[in-house]
Amino acid sequence: MAGLTRTAGAFAVTPHKISVCILLQIYAPSAQMSLPFPFSSVAQHNRLGLYLLSLTKSCDDIFEPKLEELINQLREVGEEMDAWLTDHLTNRFSALASPDDLLNFFNDMRGILGSLDSGVVQDDQIILDPNSNLGMFVRRCILAFNLLSFEGVCHLFSSIEDYCKEAHSSSAQFDASNNNLESLTQYDQMDMENYAMDKATEEIEFQKSASGIVPFHLHTPESLFKATEGLLHTRKETLRTSKKDTEATPVACASSSTLEDTLVDESLFLRTNLQIQGFLMEQADAIETHGSSSSFSSSSIESFLEQLQNLAPELHRVHFLRYLNKLHSDDYFAALDNLLRYFDYSAGTEGFDLVPPSTGCSMYGRYEIALLCLGMMHFRFGHPNLALEVLTEAVRVSQQLSNDTCLAYTLAAMSNLLSEMGIASTTCVLGSSYSPVTSTASSLSVQQRVYILLKESLRRADSLKLRRLVASNHLAMAKFELMHVQRPLLSFGPKASTHHKTCPVSVCKEIRLGAHLISDFSSESSTMTIDGSLSSAWLKDLQKPWGPPVISQDSGSRKSSTFFQFCDHLVSIPGSVAHLIGASYLLRATSWELFGSAPMARMNTLVYATLFGDSSSSSDAELAYLKLIQHLALYKGYKDAFAALKIAEEKFLTVSKSKILLLKLQLLHERALHCGNLQLAQRICNELGGLASTAMGVDMELKVEASLREARTLLAAKQYSQKSGNAVLGLPYALASISFCQSFNLDLLKASATLTLAELWLGLGSDHAKRALDLLHGAFPMILGHGGLELRARAYISEANCYLSDPSFSVSTDSDTVLDSLRQASDELQALEYHELAAEASYLMAMVYDKLGQLDEREEAASLFKMHIIALENPQDVEQNMA
Amino acid sequence: MVSKDSCRNEIRAAIRQLSDRCLYSAAKWAGEQLVGIEQDPSNFTPANTRFQRGSSSIRRRFSTNESISTPLPSVGFSQAATPLPEEDEAIDGDFYLLAKSYFDCREYRRASHVLRDQVSKKSVFLRYYALYLAGEKRKEEEMIELEGPLGKSDAINRELVSLERDLSALRRTGAIDSFGLYLYGVVLKEKGNESLARASLVESVNSYPWNWSAWSELQSLCTSIEVLNSLNLSNHWMKEFFLGNAYQELRMHTESLAKYEYLQGIFSFSNYIQAQTAKAQYSLREFDQVEIMFEELLRNDPYRVEDMDLYSNVLYAKEACAALSYLAHKVFLTDKYRPESCCIIGNYYSLKGQHEKAVMYFRRALKLNKKYLSAWTLMGHEYVEMKNTPAAIDAYRRAVDINPCDYRAWYGLGQAYEMMGMPFYALHYFRKSIFFLPNDSRLWIAMAKCYQTEQLYMLEEAIKCYKRAVNCTDTEGIALNQLAKLHQKLGRNEEAAFYFEKDLERMDAEGLEGPNMFEALVFLATHFKTHKKFEEAEVYCTRLLDYSGPEKEKAKSLLRGIRMAQTGFPSMDLEHFPI
Repeated sequence: MAGLTRTAGAFAVTPHKISVCILLQIYAPSAQMSLPFPFSSVAQHNRLGLYLLSLTKSCDDIFEPKLEELINQLREVGEEMDAWLTDHLTNRFSALASPDDLLNFFNDMRGILGSLDSGVVQDDQIILDPNSNLGMFVRRCILAFNLLSFEGVCHLFSSIEDYCKEAHSSSAQFDASNNNLESLTQYDQMDMENYAMDKATEEIEFQKSASGIVPFHLHTPESLFKATEGLLHTRKETLRTSKKDTEATPVACASSSTLEDTLVDESLFLRTNLQIQGFLMEQADAIETHGSSSSFSSSSIESFLEQLQNLAPELHRVHFLRYLNKLHSDDYFAALDNLLRYFDYSAGTEGFDLVPPSTGCSMYGRYEIALLCLGMMHFRFGHPNLALEVLTEAVRVSQQLSNDTCLAYTLAAMSNLLSEMGIASTTCVLGSSYSPVTSTASSLSVQQRVYILLKESLRRADSLKLRRLVASNHLAMAKFELMHVQRPLLSFGPKASTHHKTCPVSVCKEIRLGAHLISDFSSESSTMTIDGSLSSAWLKDLQKPWGPPVISQDSGSRKSSTFFQFCDHLVSIPGSVAHLIGASYLLRATSWELFGSAPMARMNTLVYATLFGDSSSSSDAELAYLKLIQHLALYKGYKDAFAALKIAEEKFLTVSKSKILLLKLQLLHERALHCGNLQLAQRICNELGGLASTAMGVDMELKVEASLREARTLLAAKQYSQKSGNAVLGLPYALASISFCQSFNLDLLKASATLTLAELWLGLGSDHAKRALDLLHGAFPMILGHGGLELRARAYISEANCYLSDPSFSVSTDSDTVLDSLRQASDELQALEYHELAAEASYLMAMVYDKLGQLDEREEAASLFKMHIIALENPQDVEQNMA
Repeated sequence: MVSKDSCRNEIRAAIRQLSDRCLYSAAKWAGEQLVGIEQDPSNFTPANTRFQRGSSSIRRRFSTNESISTPLPSVGFSQAATPLPEEDEAIDGDFYLLAKSYFDCREYRRASHVLRDQVSKKSVFLRYYALYLAGEKRKEEEMIELEGPLGKSDAINRELVSLERDLSALRRTGAIDSFGLYLYGVVLKEKGNESLARASLVESVNSYPWNWSAWSELQSLCTSIEVLNSLNLSNHWMKEFFLGNAYQELRMHTESLAKYEYLQGIFSFSNYIQAQTAKAQYSLREFDQVEIMFEELLRNDPYRVEDMDLYSNVLYAKEACAALSYLAHKVFLTDKYRPESCCIIGNYYSLKGQHEKAVMYFRRALKLNKKYLSAWTLMGHEYVEMKNTPAAIDAYRRAVDINPCDYRAWYGLGQAYEMMGMPFYALHYFRKSIFFLPNDSRLWIAMAKCYQTEQLYMLEEAIKCYKRAVNCTDTEGIALNQLAKLHQKLGRNEEAAFYFEKDLERMDAEGLEGPNMFEALVFLATHFKTHKKFEEAEVYCTRLLDYSGPEKEKAKSLLRGIRMAQTGFPSMDLEHFPI
């Protein structure tokens, strides 16, 4: 049928490939010499060989270098014989005067190949082994040329003319002799527009060469290759991002329009299906990575895709990319339109690597995947009920067509949807469906349904060996167990065992299982073997063996880890895998956070941000930043946190409801509470509540948080705390919370409960001070190791209080014990701007100094106390600072 | 009112000028209109009379302007706005003559080369036009040569760049005539610069209105009524032709018909107008009338292939197999490599149930014209018949991408997805098709059926759709019956009774009988009986007695129950408490 493309592993002859062939001829002329003419040393010869090898390896890349780029590369590789190489290359091209010359050229090429059967090769003879990489390349070229029809040869010939013409404008400045009459007439024929563009490229080229040529003359290989890398890189980058920055400076504008032209031009050479698919995968990753961040313009990608679609109307995957692009720029109608169009054309059978092309699918297509994608799209756009309806249909259709793979994915998507939707009324929707999986679940709670769906999905994914899905299911499971602690059935009342079914070990196990993917993914039989970046990675890595293995900070700015630079040219981890592994680190961070170890959480987040920050989706990266900022706020005070927030705000687009905005409000609220500025706190609470949508069952988390914060504000307003009440009343609660924390494995919370208990004991009278101190000292390692600023300060102050109220303790002999603690507490509270506690600390300090008779210090502490008290009573001043 | 004579004179001059510039299809169109004008009875030649009088009896039956001689309401053309076309230079250059003969032999590049140094406007136009056509020809060839693994590659007319540059330079200096402007517009359109193209074409038709090709290009750029209204066109009778066509493409069929009716006052024998009228009537689903119009058209112009695909659609819809085969045979002999011919043959095979062959001919039609909308849709239908849903979806989608307003293809897409058991997914497509044709009950019924499927079972939504269908005058009466049944199913007997009564009225009016009628009668009889409205119940029961079968027995027992209830055993229901 018309919609399905012909699968052709086509290998088309292009001018660039002819260039490579010419160079191959130089590398291995059919002459009987151990070292052919232009080479002065074996090392030089080998270098060209290596270069050619990388060229042939990268011939599957979607972008082929233009002649001038090739000449530039040659200049680096050929060192002193570069002029000869370039001359030879251009001369060979200008010698091609008619299509017949091409025929002769390929006949000559046959000569440099050794015969397949003759094993006898003289020692000093350079002959290409027909089965070597280079030999295969030559053979493929010859074969492809022989298959060309006469029209094909004509096309090749005219594209060679274009190929050389383009190079002329730039090579003119290097090689004036080349600028012969012929090229002048070509200039004549060119219209003014093109000429102007050529001028622009010339200028750009000149600037580039000016910056690139200086290190070249130094003749130090290191700087030389760095420069080349930069040159190559900018080239590649401009090519790759194509028209990404169309509205930049005039120079960039000109260059991008030339690029547009070259893109049109280049399309004369047909690409293989795999090349384009690989390229599109790369683009999809880019869309995912950059998401809606401000630096990335979706309209430029859109126009590029439009162009691609004009060039290759049968390439339906472009529609899918347009869908992705629209999805990330939050354009619902365009996204929907493109999604439907993609599946209408491709029937879900083109380019989807999650479905191996098995038998019997061609007749019915794979429209269940369309349902799956549509469901996920609705989910993303915040239509959970629609999404659920569509996914239910997806389950039904994939069961009907026994597409287990799709079923596994759909179930996973469904469980994700349900767990995100939370308590929303889903029963009516699920009730109407009658698929076995969901109907058994209809009588259960949402949580139970999520669990069942996950288990089902995991089971299927496991048996189908869908490693990515298995990994992500494990992660989802870990998340589920983190969020829903399961109690043992039939255990109520105070006597019940406090042992729960969920334990940290199982969470850890799930996360670990998820992370196994990184060692596993290579064995997955993926239909997409050619990753666009993979083939182009070869040329980029050309310099690696010679360059020093030192990764300086600035050169690694793009991929900021040594780990990834290794991976880059060894295996090149697919984006989706890196994404999943990154997610596992984020989840680890979260679980440590809950578990109560801030340093571990921070470490995992840092691992994520450095290793996977570039390759992951923008929303995940945003989350990581968020965690780091939260950590900063807890441990370094608000000033640092707000500074970091500013950076994050620049990096991520702050649209309404974004996590960053939420974080900002949270931080402001905390700070207002600490400062005692309750009006501001209340206002922020209201603002937070305003972020949530008014619809029922949506944004539940946000609503819960808003009301929680409101409650806290009100509590603070009434000055209600256990201190004001009877301490004895507080004791059972504190004890109960300790035992709960123990059973829930919440160590940090337990430590803080212990602290509260100690405070309560202390409140009962000075004869309990000893006991309180013991409790406090027991909790100290946890508090100091993992606790935030506030907790630590509180612990210090309590400790000092304990000492001071202990009758056996004498201030005059052991003043440092108390003063040290108080000083620590005071410093930390300063950073936190927690005036109330800070005032208490200074007060205690002043008292101690008073006892010791150190009047100066006493005055200092007293003035500090006064300052905090004033700040506490006049929160408006602080507010002005904040605004 | 424009006088027929002045029209005639204008067209005559225009035809000469158009053919001088090798704008053949515009000249052809103008020629058709020229003989479409009723001849002055004073200078009849016998040949004229025979040509024009062949058919008029039927024409007059359907012509709304019964008497052509009555003066038509003037629309306000000013005579001054329609100047006679200027005469060209009296003597053509020798090079021009040579170039024109080359052009006529389709040697475009040669023609343009011969004219390279000519300065007269006519020669300059012909030079660029020949160059453009040479580029087009090469483009078509390249399209086939470059057919790569991903289908058509990027074959473009390589002359466009230089043409645009030269023509824009000419325009800047003011040395461009209206024909040049037309070509400039075409070039701009192909380069994707639609607004400039529109401006250039408007300028062209304002200064020289007789070039139908320019009007059609302009029409293809008017994708919405807003765009159409924003055009600044000066008044001329050619504008009416343009508006008629444009309204038709924008699915404003009644407006379009009004324009053609008016034009028929002058061009009363124009085949073009008749075909266009038939097209509009076809969209309004007046099949009988359309069939007669096409029959007459074919009698006047037996070798006409244009628009005959539409005729074949009508014949297909009426299942007139013999007429369709006759038509197919005729167009096949006339010109078998026309997309229309292939489409007609495809329709013929489809009607015969030979779907593979039908697909083959639709394919051939599409090979000849890739943007042939109806062939894509029809091919989709064939694939649906062949149960090859993915192929059908693909075909429909192509139709939709060529013209997003094609409600038939949207409907086809919905149907295909529903067939595959994806009713929820299909709903989107039904919604799309209804958006473009909100007054068609068939579409509403299809959507309601989709809601009714056991997978979705969203009966409230189905009821809403059926109500819309009833409002759109559902001729087949499915909606009323379904509405009644759905209400019955949901236990809303009052509503059910209301709709059953309505349905009964409809069937009575149309003189129909059948199971639906029994169903309605039985329901109504029992309904009224349970509500103690015995008179009504009796009426329905007695109606049922006219028929034989189980309904009659049912009616008898119902009647017995009614009698019992009326004669003093109100609480006893014999039906439910058999003694």
